[in-house]
Amino acid sequence: MALTARRMEPVTILQRERPMRPDILLVLAYFALAALGIIMVYSASAPRLEAFGEDPSSLIRRHLAFVGIGVVAFVLSSAIPGRTLRTMTPAVYIGSIVTLVAVLFAPKLAGVNRWIQIGDFQFQPSEFAKVAVILVLALLLAGAHDRLRLGHIARGIALVTVPAALTFFQPDLGTMLVFSFIAIAMLFVGGTTWRQFAFLLVAAIVIAVALFQVGALREYQLTRLTAFLDPTADLDATALYNQRQSEIAIGSGGFLGKGLFEGTQTNLSFVPAQATDFIFTAVGEQLGFIGGAIVIALYSLLVWRILAAAAAGREAFTRFVAVGVATVIVFHVFVNIGMTMRLMPVTGLPLPFISAGGSAFIAMSIALGLAHSVWMRRSPVPE
Amino acid sequence: MRRPGWRVADLRLVLVAVVHVAAWLAIAARLVDVQGLHAEAFAERGLEQRVRHEELAAKRGTIFDRDGVELAVSISAQTMIANPSQLADPVGVAKLLAPLVGVEEATLVERLTREGSQFAYIARRLEREALDNVVALVESLDLEGVYFIDEPKRVYPAGGLASQIIGFVQDDDGVGLEGLEYEFDEVLAGTPGALVVERDPFGNPIPQGQFLVDPAVPGSDLVLTIDREIEFLAQQALTAAVERTGAIAGTVVVLDVQTGEILAIANTPTFDANDRSNLDVDRFRNRAVTDVYEPGSTLKVVTVAAALEEGVVTPSDVFTVPQKLVIHDKSYTDTARTGEEEMTVAEIVARSSNIGTILIQDQLGNDAHHRYLSAFGLGQVASGQFPGEVDGSLQPVGEWCKTTCGPSTAIGYRVDVTPLQMAAVFAAIANDGVWVEPHIVKEVLPGRGAPEPFEPKRRPVLNAETARTMRLLLQGVVERGTGTRAQIAGYTVGGKTGTTEKFVPGEGYSETDRIASFIGMAPLTEPRIVVAVVLDSPQGELEGGVDLRFGGVSAAPVFAEVAEAALHLLGVAPDAG
Repeated sequence: MALTARRMEPVTILQRERPMRPDILLVLAYFALAALGIIMVYSASAPRLEAFGEDPSSLIRRHLAFVGIGVVAFVLSSAIPGRTLRTMTPAVYIGSIVTLVAVLFAPKLAGVNRWIQIGDFQFQPSEFAKVAVILVLALLLAGAHDRLRLGHIARGIALVTVPAALTFFQPDLGTMLVFSFIAIAMLFVGGTTWRQFAFLLVAAIVIAVALFQVGALREYQLTRLTAFLDPTADLDATALYNQRQSEIAIGSGGFLGKGLFEGTQTNLSFVPAQATDFIFTAVGEQLGFIGGAIVIALYSLLVWRILAAAAAGREAFTRFVAVGVATVIVFHVFVNIGMTMRLMPVTGLPLPFISAGGSAFIAMSIALGLAHSVWMRRSPVPE
Repeated sequence: MRRPGWRVADLRLVLVAVVHVAAWLAIAARLVDVQGLHAEAFAERGLEQRVRHEELAAKRGTIFDRDGVELAVSISAQTMIANPSQLADPVGVAKLLAPLVGVEEATLVERLTREGSQFAYIARRLEREALDNVVALVESLDLEGVYFIDEPKRVYPAGGLASQIIGFVQDDDGVGLEGLEYEFDEVLAGTPGALVVERDPFGNPIPQGQFLVDPAVPGSDLVLTIDREIEFLAQQALTAAVERTGAIAGTVVVLDVQTGEILAIANTPTFDANDRSNLDVDRFRNRAVTDVYEPGSTLKVVTVAAALEEGVVTPSDVFTVPQKLVIHDKSYTDTARTGEEEMTVAEIVARSSNIGTILIQDQLGNDAHHRYLSAFGLGQVASGQFPGEVDGSLQPVGEWCKTTCGPSTAIGYRVDVTPLQMAAVFAAIANDGVWVEPHIVKEVLPGRGAPEPFEPKRRPVLNAETARTMRLLLQGVVERGTGTRAQIAGYTVGGKTGTTEKFVPGEGYSETDRIASFIGMAPLTEPRIVVAVVLDSPQGELEGGVDLRFGGVSAAPVFAEVAEAALHLLGVAPDAG
């Protein structure tokens, strides 16, 4: 990459008015993932719904609606200039904190305070908070003007700790980890010293261990982790049931997969949450290694385009936004797919653009749109 | 704009990109691992989960008597089970069902209220009315958490008849435990079939999934040689005799002499296989094949027959028989006589003279004697169709001592036999000298395929002439010797009495207890049956001071009773005035 070799050129009006064109590859990758998601969600949900005597298309219709909203959100956020985004950031962050507080007081759904019921839909504030955290950290780091001081780091930690603590009470361990990971990655790119970076990592681990020690984790979170960390654990143990089933589903897909709607393991509900968190098992079983490889290739393409945007971005703020977006997508993909193949412990993180789930799809589409906007408004290329 | 500062950021961006690439590689590697290298193993595990192998129970074969009457049969019954965690009101259900299924209320309440239980028996093997009543109740109340499963029940329609022969099966799994139910368990049990079906996690069959039916092969039926009417009469006569004489136990064996078919084996004490609660296992023993005794005088037929066959004596040869004979450290006596007497071989047999028989054996010699004992099947398992059947003991002749071994064996000591072995010896004499393997299973009837009749082994031991001579000698026993109580009106009878001191392991010979036996055949002109009667420790006296401990006194009448009834039942024409 020639990121560091770029020379300074005076910015002229002419170059500034260079027409904004979408990043075709990024858009294609996004659409491809969303399309694949639609097929997968349908194949993973319809047989099961039918088995329960319900309308087999009920889930996919909702998902299609969310995808529609998400695409619109993507287009709209692609159109937001950096300056506008910057002025919106404090409001977005505060609004996000407010919803994270509100969700704790909303009636519990499935035993946790993770969703706010609005009419027929469940709104998940933590998904949007991921975007807010990216924005507020980008704003902070851009304000440091490449001279990151301890004060910046401290403020950065404080800004992340608030939403992280709030999601902890939901409880939603996975999202908490997402916030921490975004913070560490963005602070690193923002210019922490290696020593500070190391300190942040150690601090994160210490906090994690401390949470264990004071018993703040719930029973199921503990068993999931211990079961994952102890490979000798009985594979039939319920704590590992999900992963064992998803591994069987993916493995039985083989090289070419069993074909659409032929996924006995996912379609027949051996795999839990097969339309949401474990959607990758549907890909692996039905489309095989080829399908999985295509999914990973699409994500790689997407993240490459976002990093390219980060490298080419016109101003520090938007470039940091792009870095944050790339990070959040990679983290989700890695943790989610890793989880389905016992590379990672079970955490409830969705697979971006593929899992059924409105809030996640829309929030990720917004995040992608913001990164896309950075590319479209990149620095003019020198002659 | 401050570009130089971005150098750090750009460099870091590259590092972030590297981390991303590493993440993709890790996932890709794992994907290759799971879907490439281990795909088959995972696919197999998946299939394992979906494919259920369900056992299809095979119907257990029926045991019939020789006329096709059921002696042991499996009837369909249903066992009622519950998942207590699904019961809305376990105590109420228990109270409601207890009287209908015949289980105590407290027991049922305890079973259904056990903490965290997912399975409980309400009642096993309900049939007919009880089942209908319970099913109707469950349906009318729409009870949740109560289920019925097929569990066939084994019943023994003949009750306590031939119980030790037939045996029984274990209540909970239907596996044969005793008797022919045990010995022929594999034949009777059949082969369970299998239903292989792919099912989803909710237990619904998968439409395009695997579906294989491997039907169960029903167990084969057994047709026994038993004639249940003779069996019944034998049992009745034996039970009465045991009661009359105060014997500890007794056995009656009825053999068809030409075919080796066991027409009846009765044992006392006995039991009813349908109700075995609180029974002493002693009752389960088929004493005719599991218990040995020293045959005593009944074994003299082998000594004499061998001597006749070998030509060392003829029936009319005269021996000078003292009352007492001392050989080495042992003295032998004839208790029923006094002084020295001139006796023919026929008289020796008729009067069951120990000394006379010893003298005959002396002529015969140990080697020839042993050869005949062996040829008559002693020391070898008689039929091999019964569980726990023993071979008794016949010492190899090389180990016989030169002094008292021959004489003792001649009069039926030092040899352990089963009543069935002895019956077969007499049957060989009855059957013109051809020993026929006694057997209880006449044929096996497989569910599919042709009947498999049992072919008994046959072995000539005596020539027909010798056998006929022996029968005449045995007739003398019944007509004017020790066995007169064995006479039957209308039929000629031959037989031999036996009375031995009971050998109690660990204690030696009993002073008072005797094994009393009588083995005989009828009708003598063309023998059809052999009946062996063995009584363990009969006591007391008949009017006139006749000691019941003697075989001729206690066992011979049982023979007469059983043989007469059997001859009538078999439709054998009388051969005597």
